[in-house]
This record gives sequence, structure tokens and C-alpha cells, in this order.
Amino acid sequence: MRARFTLNGAPVETDVAPASMLLDLVRERGLTGTKEGCAVGICGVCTVLVDDRPVSSCLYLCGFLDGADVWTVEGLVEREPELADAFVECEGMQCGICTPGQVVAAAALRLRSPGAGAAEVREELAGNLCRCTGYETIVEAVMRYLERS
Amino acid sequence: MPATVPEACQALTGDGALALGGGTAMGLLLRNGLVEPERLVWLGRIAALGGIAVGTDGSLRIGAATTLAELARHPEVLRRCASLARAASGAANPRIRAVATLGGHLGHADPRQDLPPVLLALGASAEVTGVGGTRLVEIADLLVGFMETSLAPDELITSVVVPERVGRRDVYLRYTPNSHDDYPTVGVAVDVSVAPDGRVMGARLALGGVAPTAVLVEGVADALVGRAASAADLEAVAEAARSSATPVDDQRGSAAYKQAMSGLWAVRAVRAALGGADER
Repeated sequence: MRARFTLNGAPVETDVAPASMLLDLVRERGLTGTKEGCAVGICGVCTVLVDDRPVSSCLYLCGFLDGADVWTVEGLVEREPELADAFVECEGMQCGICTPGQVVAAAALRLRSPGAGAAEVREELAGNLCRCTGYETIVEAVMRYLERS
Repeated sequence: MPATVPEACQALTGDGALALGGGTAMGLLLRNGLVEPERLVWLGRIAALGGIAVGTDGSLRIGAATTLAELARHPEVLRRCASLARAASGAANPRIRAVATLGGHLGHADPRQDLPPVLLALGASAEVTGVGGTRLVEIADLLVGFMETSLAPDELITSVVVPERVGRRDVYLRYTPNSHDDYPTVGVAVDVSVAPDGRVMGARLALGGVAPTAVLVEGVADALVGRAASAADLEAVAEAARSSATPVDDQRGSAAYKQAMSGLWAVRAVRAALGGADER
């Protein structure tokens, strides 16, 4: 099927297999910041924004893409420099595998609830698994990002 | 990609079609080759499936395309049946909740899901439309087996109707000994109504995760109705829950463990609903 959508602000028109996954589409277009982790919608490293909502791109069918507005981590950090800055300044990462997903989850939270407190930040990030940091510095980074934007 | 319900019913007619709400559960099955439909019928462009409205009788009509995230935050859901919002807010993770729909959740009919026991306890029905017309189906008659519904191939769930109950105190508790985004070992939904004098007027309790479908537990009303909340027969509630549970061994616990937990969490849920310590 033909799908017309925007990807990181730029219009895209392409043929997609309806049952293929958005994760593969963005990676095949060179946007490899979005990773495949668990491939079952649990770990969060493949998080992207579709129409301002966070989605697991490993389970998001390309058949839904027509008319959608898609943002990956690459586009978001360009659109909102304070997002990456906050993660760098707070060292909101350790090994880095989960970081793209954490960054996108933070952007999604700001869009939905810009005044979120620490409890809501933790709730939102609970679906993005980090096994290094213990989350403290990630929560700090997201709080700093929310305060600045 | 149908734009209306009749178009969708037409598209679903015959073999090999798969209806998709948010596609989160089906995406997983498609990705792993566990379902191989000839065509996908995406319901996401059908405006008539959206919206949440209060009827003149106080019932809540929730469009099938409502996402779990919308359910979790909607003020009328929170006011009229908070257990449903609670269950929606605890299922999976924010990314799944942002996409997964109420209709898709019910149509998937996985017995470990959170919303079916809540809807059973609340006495909800699904509005179902097919080529031949529309019917109202009680949730117990919709969920007929393990990942099996009573929907005909051309039928789809268009909305869910939750009746009003005066004095409603509803609670949903999910017990997840592994990670919190896992399916529960057991989920317990309670809907009790309590008169101003503290007497219990009605009580329904349902379990998820411990039988081929979510199950409404028989005998709970006998243990509670007509008594003061403080005189509830909680041992009878536990026994009723244990005997309704027919679980299987898996990574969320042995069958015996799940049966024991069904009794324990049923008591906790009833206690929370009746105004005891909130153990959520």
C-alpha cells in the first residue's frame, strides 16, 4: 500500500507492506538511533512518537502510517536541543542502550503533561527499562528538560 | 481502511480478514507469524467508534476505539467506574496504552488481560455490529473461551456500555510478582454498592488470569449483600474465589499458588472496596 506521512518533519511517500513494522522502516531509512531490543513492546528502546504519542515501533504496523506524523530520536533532539542537553548534563545514561528510548519517552511526556512532577516522570519511564543507572539521573534529566521547556 | 462501521463489517465478511484496533497484540502475533491473515481491516479511521458519553440512564458508553491511555484519564470513567480507569492505567506500559484500544483488548480475549474482569464485575455489555444489525452482548457471553469470542466473522465491537450503580465502590487489584508491566498472576475486580447506612446492596467480583476466560465469581453476593460492610463474610469470599479459579501452571505461578492468591486478593479487593485499608 501507498503511505504518505511525515518523518522528523519531512514529507515521505512510499510503498509499505501493511503488516511490516515501523521500526524496520525508520532503520532502513538510516535512522538507527531507534533500536530493536525485546521486539515484544516491553523494553522501550524502539520508542518513537506517532502523532505525539509514544509507541513501540517494533509493534507499530506500517499499515497505520498514512497521514501520521512520526518523530524519531534523531529528529527530536534536533527539534529540541534542550532535550539532549539535559541528558548530557545530568549524565542520564550509563551504557547507553536504553537512552534513545528514554529521550523519546521524555519528549512524549512533555507533550502530554508539561508540568509533570517526579512521580509522573517515574511512572512514564517505568516502561523504558534501564538496567544500569537505577533511574535517578534519568529522572533528573527529564525533570531538568521539563523545567527548561 | 474502512471509514464507517458498515464498510468495516463488509470488509470483515468471509474468511481471512483480521480486524485491528491499535494492533499492539496482533502486531506481536503478525510479527512472529502466529497469525497469517489475507487482509487487515484497520478500524482506526472510523470516527463512530470514538468518544465516551453518559446516557440518560447514567450509563457510560465508551467507544471501542478509545485507547487504554484515554480510558485511564477520562473524568467520567474516573467518576463512574474508577476501577476501569485503574485497570487501564496499570496494563502494560505507556507505549502500549497509547495505542491499544478497548475494542481490540476485548476482541483479543486473552484471559490474562486486565479489563475483562473489571467489565464483568461492573456488569458491562458490548455493543456489537455486523452486516445483519446491532446487538448488545454481556461481557460474559462475549468471552467464551481462551482467546475466543462469540463474535461472528463480520461483527465488530463498536462500544462498551457500563451501567450506573448507586453507591458504587469499585476496585481493581492486580498481583504481579514479576515485573509490574507483566500480565497479572491474578487480577481481581470488585463492584459493590453500599447504602448510606453502610449496608451492602449489591456485590460482584470477577477474576482474570486464572481460567480460560475472565470469570465472574458465584456466591459473592451471598457473602456480602444485606450485611453491614463490617460484617462481611470474607472467608466465604475467599472460598468462592478459590473455587472459581481453574488456573494452569506457568511462569506466573503454579496452579495451586494462583488458586491461593485468588482467594487472598479477592479478600483484599473486597476489603478495599468496603472502605477498609486501601491495599492498592
